[in-house]
Amino acid sequence: MADLPILLLNSFSYILVLILVAMGLVIIFGLMGVINMAHGEFFLLGAYTVVMTDSLGIGFWPGLILAPIIVGLVGLALEYFCIRFLYDRVLDTILATWGVSIAIKQLIIIFFGPAGLMVNPPLPQLVNMGLIEYPAYRLFIMLASLSVIGFTFFIFLKTDMGLAARAVIANRNMAASLGINTRQIYRNTFTFGSALAGLAGAIMAPLMSCDPQMGLGFFIPAFLAILVGGTGSLSGILAGGMVVGGSDSIISYLFSPVSSQIVVFTLAVIVIRIKPQGILGTKRNE
Amino acid sequence: MNKFAFISPNGRVNIIRIFVLIALGCFPLLQDAYLLSQLTVFLVYGLFAMSLSLIWGYGGILCFGHAVFFGIGAYIMALTTKGMIPGMTGIFTSTLFALLLSIAGTALFASILGYFLFSGRLSGPYFGIVTLAVAVVAERIATKWDYIGGFNGLTNIPAFSIGGYEVLDPLVLFYVILGICLILYLISDRIVNAPFGTILSAVRDNEDRVEFFGYNIANLKILIFSISAGIAGLAGALFAVAAEFVSPTILGFSLSTEVLIWVALGGREILLAAFLGAISVRTIEALLSDILGYYWILGLGVLFILCVMFFPRGLFGQLLSNKPRN
Amino acid sequence: MLNITNLHASYGGSRILQGVNLQVAQGQIMALMGRNGMGKTTLMRTIMGLLRPSSGHIIFDGKPIQGRQSYKISSDGIGYVPQGREIFGDFTVAENLRLGALKFDRKNRDIPEEIFDYFPILAQRQDQLAGSFSGGEQQMLAIARALVGRPKLLLLDEPSEGIQPSIVDEIGQILKKINSEAGLTILIVEQNVDMVLEIADNFSFMEKGIIVHNCPVQEIKADESIITGYISV
Repeated sequence: MADLPILLLNSFSYILVLILVAMGLVIIFGLMGVINMAHGEFFLLGAYTVVMTDSLGIGFWPGLILAPIIVGLVGLALEYFCIRFLYDRVLDTILATWGVSIAIKQLIIIFFGPAGLMVNPPLPQLVNMGLIEYPAYRLFIMLASLSVIGFTFFIFLKTDMGLAARAVIANRNMAASLGINTRQIYRNTFTFGSALAGLAGAIMAPLMSCDPQMGLGFFIPAFLAILVGGTGSLSGILAGGMVVGGSDSIISYLFSPVSSQIVVFTLAVIVIRIKPQGILGTKRNE
Repeated sequence: MNKFAFISPNGRVNIIRIFVLIALGCFPLLQDAYLLSQLTVFLVYGLFAMSLSLIWGYGGILCFGHAVFFGIGAYIMALTTKGMIPGMTGIFTSTLFALLLSIAGTALFASILGYFLFSGRLSGPYFGIVTLAVAVVAERIATKWDYIGGFNGLTNIPAFSIGGYEVLDPLVLFYVILGICLILYLISDRIVNAPFGTILSAVRDNEDRVEFFGYNIANLKILIFSISAGIAGLAGALFAVAAEFVSPTILGFSLSTEVLIWVALGGREILLAAFLGAISVRTIEALLSDILGYYWILGLGVLFILCVMFFPRGLFGQLLSNKPRN
Repeated sequence: MLNITNLHASYGGSRILQGVNLQVAQGQIMALMGRNGMGKTTLMRTIMGLLRPSSGHIIFDGKPIQGRQSYKISSDGIGYVPQGREIFGDFTVAENLRLGALKFDRKNRDIPEEIFDYFPILAQRQDQLAGSFSGGEQQMLAIARALVGRPKLLLLDEPSEGIQPSIVDEIGQILKKINSEAGLTILIVEQNVDMVLEIADNFSFMEKGIIVHNCPVQEIKADESIITGYISV
């Protein structure tokens, strides 16, 4: 029965990374009403940043630092050259960012090829945890994700920048009338949300084979987590990430990845039917 | 009111319609068997694109996973005509029955899905991505399900047959499919110009106002979603016959992406523009993709972004629109 | 201080402002009156930059501000208390007030003590959620929030709406006090005749998108039928 703690720990680390991805998606959506379809590809860019530094011989750790910076800048560019022209056309932002996701994916294929690439394990040792031995890198993932999630909550709930962002979410016109530069807030948030995806991609890179399609594999569960958790508050994401990520990894383990996809998807659709505002029942921001 | 949907008050649009029909009809004169078989498949894609335009352009419902209906239609067609559905033999394996079953099956699937999603008042962006998830999951299922061929799909699909007569000549098949496309175009055009289509456009532009007049928005959306899915299913069924194979790729993410690009580039708000979008992109792709390789999709993606930003009505949409340029 | 000439603006396809001319002098309280749907709120929103005017000029403090972004107009020195107050109900009182100061540099974001002198109730309840306040308290919070931004001109849109009369009186007195002590210029849209007669120096009446009459308060005190002619149905 040594499997059970490992299974739980694995699920937990997956949940945390999923929350990281979903959080970037949801703050962008909550603030601007924009679903960034390229979010999965930002994850992808983060992972390939690590692939690149690893193959250049600089190793994993510089890549982990670089990934959120590079992806944040890509997000900034996307906001500046594209998104800001489309704020009045919400459905078109989805399409445009989707076009961006196609282009990014294809660029990755052109530069790195379509095949899966591996990253050298940055922390190959096992840690003795009494009952079990557990990979040190997975423990690092948990620690890193938890700190970044905590950091994001702190920014949003405790700082002036977060206060301004929350005000823009709640009532854009009123926030602007109080002297808050909403455009600036949008740009900062988009950059920050993108950087989160990049970081998540970099964190996950050593655990999986990195291929150009991997973004979608995180984008969809992250999105389902948002649907399940509701977009009204950041805490909804914690609940949604737990439900989606938890059931996904446990069912994958017990049965198969395909059956877990079906179950998670069906679960999400049923939640949408019964509680359109998400399981926490917070009101959706229109 | 015009008796024939094909003849609208706008002369220029009608000339283009007739020109397109004649051009397609005369295509076999080129006597190139390979191109003809290609174009037959492209016609099917055109029909598929039209079904997307019906919900997206007219209904304002963005569907990122439309290939799931195309694929289900194709699989139903293949399984039925190959006699692989338990208990269905004889007449039940005929092409016509299989076509009907493809349409009904996909429409039913769409209405069930629509019931869960629209009644939950899932707004535009959410809906789009949930359908994307459906497509991805469906592709995974088809890949793992050995009975329906798994990763390799199904081949050796029986030829199109009408009352015992098998259409083996590619030329005849081309005209049969062209005819079906024309009929479906006329029906769809009728739908969007009928009162139902007007209400639908009103829902697209202002949902609350329509609801205020006592219409049940969810039911309206489920209905048009099912109609669109049914047409996509029919296109899929024809694809199975024309291409003589089905595989998980026609069910999932990439075809869903492609059809959206065709329709966006062609023009989402005009059925014929969407149809032409599919045919032209596929034709150009057939000519250029070998030379451009990976850069083809990159270019298509960039073109798609520019089109969304600067030509939301699409390249053919502007040409075929009755509305003035703005 | 504020000089509006020939201002036109449309909202939702209908032309609401059809050539508004309005002057508000430094240090005065100007009441803008008129029936519902005459364009008062639209005028306020247009001054605040929430609605782009189709033509005309808004000169504030000697500088044209029409078409500027709202946040810049706020920094120019116009405070806005919209109709319905629009406080942030899920935020605490302290957070609501701090939002008014975010446009300043980090070191200048403290809430001035005078605010709590004018509205002592806010001082005791800083950690309470603003949504739990009564209508009158929310109104005070909305005014205080605007004052935190140190405006030269305060736009108030129907501050008495849905508030019990005793508190309306109190708010009126506080506004008058701020006006006389700090020299704050106020443009107030109001239906409550008693309140504006108490505090306003000048009156403007609006009908069908234009200003149809201007007069000082004395003229109205002499003949109250002027008001009823413009605001009763």
